[in-house]
Amino acid sequence: MGRPGLNRRQLITGLGGAAVAGSFGFAALGSGADALASDAATRVRYWNLFSGGDGYNMIAMLDAFRREHPGTEVKDSTLQWGSPFYTKLAMAAAGNRAPDLGVMHLGRVTGFSPGRLLDPWDVGLLAKYGVREADFNPALWKRAVVDGKLYALPLDIHVQLCFYRKDVLRKAGLLGDDGRIVPVTSTEEWFDVLKEAKKATKKGLQTIGLWANDQNFQWWFFVAFYTQLGGTWFDAADSDVTFDTDKATQVLEFMRRHITDGYSDPGFAGAAGAEQFLNGSPFCWEGNWSVPVFDGAKTEYGATPLPPVFGKRATHAESHSFVLPHQSGRGGDANEAAHELAAYVVRHAQQWAAGGHIPAYTPTLSTAAYKKLEPQNEYVSAMDHQATEPKVWFAGSTGILAQRVGPIAASSMLGSARPEAAARRMRSTLAELLAMKNPMDGRTAAQAGAAA
Amino acid sequence: MTTTTPQAVLAPTRARTAADSPTARRRQGFQHGGWFVAPFLVLFALFVIWPLLRGVYLSLTDANISGDGAGFVGLDNYREALHDQLMWDALGHSAYFTLLVVPCITVLALLLALLAHHIERGKWLWRLCFFIPFLLPSTVAGNLWQWLFNPGTGMVNYLFGLDTPWLTGTSYAMLAVVITTLWWTVGFSFLLYLAALQNIPAHLYEAAELDGANVWHRMVHITLPMLRNITGLVIALQILASLQVFDQAVVMQDFGPGPEGSTRTFVQYTLEEGFTSYRVGYASAISIIFFVIIAAVALARMWLLRNREEDAR
Repeated sequence: MGRPGLNRRQLITGLGGAAVAGSFGFAALGSGADALASDAATRVRYWNLFSGGDGYNMIAMLDAFRREHPGTEVKDSTLQWGSPFYTKLAMAAAGNRAPDLGVMHLGRVTGFSPGRLLDPWDVGLLAKYGVREADFNPALWKRAVVDGKLYALPLDIHVQLCFYRKDVLRKAGLLGDDGRIVPVTSTEEWFDVLKEAKKATKKGLQTIGLWANDQNFQWWFFVAFYTQLGGTWFDAADSDVTFDTDKATQVLEFMRRHITDGYSDPGFAGAAGAEQFLNGSPFCWEGNWSVPVFDGAKTEYGATPLPPVFGKRATHAESHSFVLPHQSGRGGDANEAAHELAAYVVRHAQQWAAGGHIPAYTPTLSTAAYKKLEPQNEYVSAMDHQATEPKVWFAGSTGILAQRVGPIAASSMLGSARPEAAARRMRSTLAELLAMKNPMDGRTAAQAGAAA
Repeated sequence: MTTTTPQAVLAPTRARTAADSPTARRRQGFQHGGWFVAPFLVLFALFVIWPLLRGVYLSLTDANISGDGAGFVGLDNYREALHDQLMWDALGHSAYFTLLVVPCITVLALLLALLAHHIERGKWLWRLCFFIPFLLPSTVAGNLWQWLFNPGTGMVNYLFGLDTPWLTGTSYAMLAVVITTLWWTVGFSFLLYLAALQNIPAHLYEAAELDGANVWHRMVHITLPMLRNITGLVIALQILASLQVFDQAVVMQDFGPGPEGSTRTFVQYTLEEGFTSYRVGYASAISIIFFVIIAAVALARMWLLRNREEDAR
């Protein structure tokens, strides 16, 4: 709070809040009445976490569905992204007030108590509406299956990308004949590229923006490069840590070198890295959701998956997927309409791709319309080499794993911990997490092993 | 207190009746006053006492966010908390913030109040300027200073020709939160001081001036002693509020814990454990620990003040 107890302003804020909450109540009543008054026979309540450009694209897709399915009313609610969303979804499911359809990050599904807070998809119904396992990348589909049942229907994968300015790289002689960045296959090649690019960079700009102080981004980059080295996390039974501290040290040293060699300025961390990119900084490592931002700025740029500096290709990937929050009496028309809506959006994800995401439904990827999208067509291969967090209850976007291990990666990046010491801390943290019980069902990752 | 109240002087002159007996008067007092405080008591019980008791109960269980399947675990959560480095770090950050904010805000509020009290022209403008930031919601104040501290495009580094990583450096991130808080909340303490300054009788200064006291003497021997009570109040309120720091810190770090967790405060850590990690039982345990710490600080302050009052008597 940072301020003394209740005062006039807080009182007014409180009253204002009550008034707003009240008006929401009436708004809800209003829409309920609308639903009764409308001709729609079925009503699907759908919670999502998409704001900004993603929100715009999702609403456009929902509107298209509404036009084609006048018999179904879609009542969509956009909630605050991140932990607040998962908290509301869990409480709604536990209290049997869950919506008919929801969205989650795929990595969070294992920890979200499938079977108790989530209901499995009816694969037969999905097939009826045109979505089959064969239409998905096998690795992606496998991640959505828990205990032999499908608990998530992937909509996309979103990945970490290496954005580059074509104008600066052309000046530095780093652009191939195809107008794309020259290939990089080792750390030395990568630092040579940075060295040349730096020479062509305007004064006052850093060479590459990579969110040096951000625990999430540092963790995502770590996952990508550690996977490139073939690193593993736990054994098959999730009972032992197989994390390789030597490989981790190599990754952390590689990341740290961007700062010590002067290519990245930790002072320009965070969103400032993207600002610098728009101002003429040659490189920026960012999520694919930045595509609309850079498109809007009319910058001449390209985007590839993170460079395969350790030989093998791998870039960090998470996935937005549809889920069925647990309802005690799930079934009937609303449930079928939820299947129909999710299948429709998954199959019509061309609009979604405009937001930078790679559609999970593979037939979309081979359409002429998708192949024309730039720079999406340059990084679509990321679908085939996804680096993901281990499939355990504490993993997934903004989950406990990222919260606990991310800061360690960031501290090595910023130089307050030596890479080898950070790697050892990562390993001991992973061991602690493995021994920890999932608060949702009281089982450790190993005890839940059969379920994964 | 040794002063005699008017009632005490008048009482012996009236004939004593049964209704005047202390017990009856207490009963009568409750009949009248009880109804006035009842709504408060009901709300207090509902929103403070009940959640507190419920929190104590939850802290002894392994409850999760979904509210079912909670088992009794005894003092396990408390035992875990004792060895939880992240919790101690978070407590350290809240304490560090408090140590920086409380003295600074007290001195700053006093200086601003003195300035606003003595200045003749445009008095209202000064008061408005010092107080108005306090009216902003925390999100606005946090976002505003996030822009000002932006290393690349922010005004702070630009104006002072600095290259300081305000929001991204481990040793600066909390300092940035402190500066934001000073600007944002000093208005409240400023107002308390200003009111107190206006209550100091002018004749004290006139008498001192006749005795040849200069500005410094008047400040040290009249103003500061007369402001002692209000200073105690400002310090107490600020300590309690600062220990609970949360919103400006999370807004300035985009809801993250800051570089290497350096702005993760105790309240934020409790929230993370309860609502991100879904460990409601554990989050309850650490919030009870925090409650005890804050209550201890408040009691210690009361005890110190009581001793001082007794000394003064």
